[in-house]
Amino acid sequence: MDSVESQVYIIIFSTLFLGGIMSTFVISMVFIHRQRQAQNQQKLDHIKSEHEKTLLNIENEIQQETLTHIGRELHDNIGQLLSLAKLNFGSIKPEKQEEGKNILSQAIQEVRGLSKQLNLDWVESISINEFVAQQLTKIQNTGFCETTLEAEFDLVDLPKDQKLVLIRVIQESLNNAIKHASPDHLKIEMRSIDGKRQILIKDDGKGFDSTQKSNGSGMYNLKKRMETIGGGFDLTSVVGKGTEINLTLPN
Amino acid sequence: MEPRFFEAFLMPYLVVLDILSLTGIIYFCMLPKEQKANTSYWLPLVILLFTCFFENMGAYCNYNTAFNKEVNAFFGNTENPRYNLWLYNIANKQISTILYLFLIKSWLKPSKKKYITWMLVVFISVAFYFQITDIEPVYSFQPIIFAIGANMMVIGIGLYFIGLITDETFLNSNPLKLISFWQMTFLLFTYSLSYINSIALEFFLTFNEDLGRSLIQIDIVLGVLTKIILLLTIASPKLPKLFEREPIYGFS
Repeated sequence: MDSVESQVYIIIFSTLFLGGIMSTFVISMVFIHRQRQAQNQQKLDHIKSEHEKTLLNIENEIQQETLTHIGRELHDNIGQLLSLAKLNFGSIKPEKQEEGKNILSQAIQEVRGLSKQLNLDWVESISINEFVAQQLTKIQNTGFCETTLEAEFDLVDLPKDQKLVLIRVIQESLNNAIKHASPDHLKIEMRSIDGKRQILIKDDGKGFDSTQKSNGSGMYNLKKRMETIGGGFDLTSVVGKGTEINLTLPN
Repeated sequence: MEPRFFEAFLMPYLVVLDILSLTGIIYFCMLPKEQKANTSYWLPLVILLFTCFFENMGAYCNYNTAFNKEVNAFFGNTENPRYNLWLYNIANKQISTILYLFLIKSWLKPSKKKYITWMLVVFISVAFYFQITDIEPVYSFQPIIFAIGANMMVIGIGLYFIGLITDETFLNSNPLKLISFWQMTFLLFTYSLSYINSIALEFFLTFNEDLGRSLIQIDIVLGVLTKIILLLTIASPKLPKLFEREPIYGFS
């Protein structure tokens, strides 16, 4: 084989070799893209299942709390009203009979109110602003501390699942403040900054060092729940200066 | 008409190119106004029409040898006045490469477009410098200029493929149904398969002309396939079952 012939062969084989490399390259790219798609799908499925799990947990928690509340109401309120009505109906005096009827009507109203809380339909009918106002009024009525609500916007356009999560997070944050901070004043601000809607829960209680890693899973759960609905959870606290929780709402 | 005229202009390759260009114009006219203004549609048509123009021009140079002789003399080539290399170099190896680089640029994210802009600047400067300094005269073989252009094409196409596997916007797409994917794949094959034989063209035509001419066929076949893909790009809005909407359109 002379040198020209061997050079021709080298050129042909080099061309074929380059073609082979390019084919491998393109096939690899398609393969890698497919793999990324599969990984992304897995990630999406995981997020979806996490979201469903969180929602289920929240529904369970709310139902559990509702049942506890109803049990307490039946025992402390309706039970008392019915006993009082029974006493009044036992009397022969007409004014006592009348009073008994009034107490019975009151008991019927209380039962109706309780029955509404048995399912989660109330979540759809109530706005976040109304819910926050109700919660703060409830706290203030107990005489535990002063409360204030400042709202720049009405939160009425949230889907039910996001609303459920938000209600639960607000409830849990307020419970934590009452349970651990012993504040004199509790304030909730609903404000919009740079198009981002935020809910700020502030208390002037004991506070704690938020830079130190917490052993409990409470804060982690609240953060995770907010992230599940595409929102954010941020907590800052200083010993003796209270705590501020910043909930960023999903767009 | 002389038989030489038909011989020059009715070559199967030229006829195919003419038909592709004509079909491209028809499909382009059928596009809505906003798509006509989109680089992804008008640039393939420009490339198609430009290829058709310079290939016919080449045929005309073969037919009108006096004209070819004059142009060659203008560029300083009096030894081989019948050669068409000046047209092949300027149109096929330089302007076409520049147009293809612009096409690649249209498929890239804004953050990556700047690399193509720099490649264009470097390629045009180097090609200009090599030609005016007679390192690679315009009427002679230009392996260095072609090699630089082909390398830039391969890098540009590589940038597209990197985007394909890393960018979130491509995650919901099937690459095999994306016209940009097929454009890049065919360009990659055209430039890589013709890389060595284009660089070694002078060697082939000196020592084994028959083989050299056979290898040029690779260039021609891949060139036609690339033009078919360009035509399909223009016709893609009419073929929704064959091609998906490009996710990258949002970037341009």
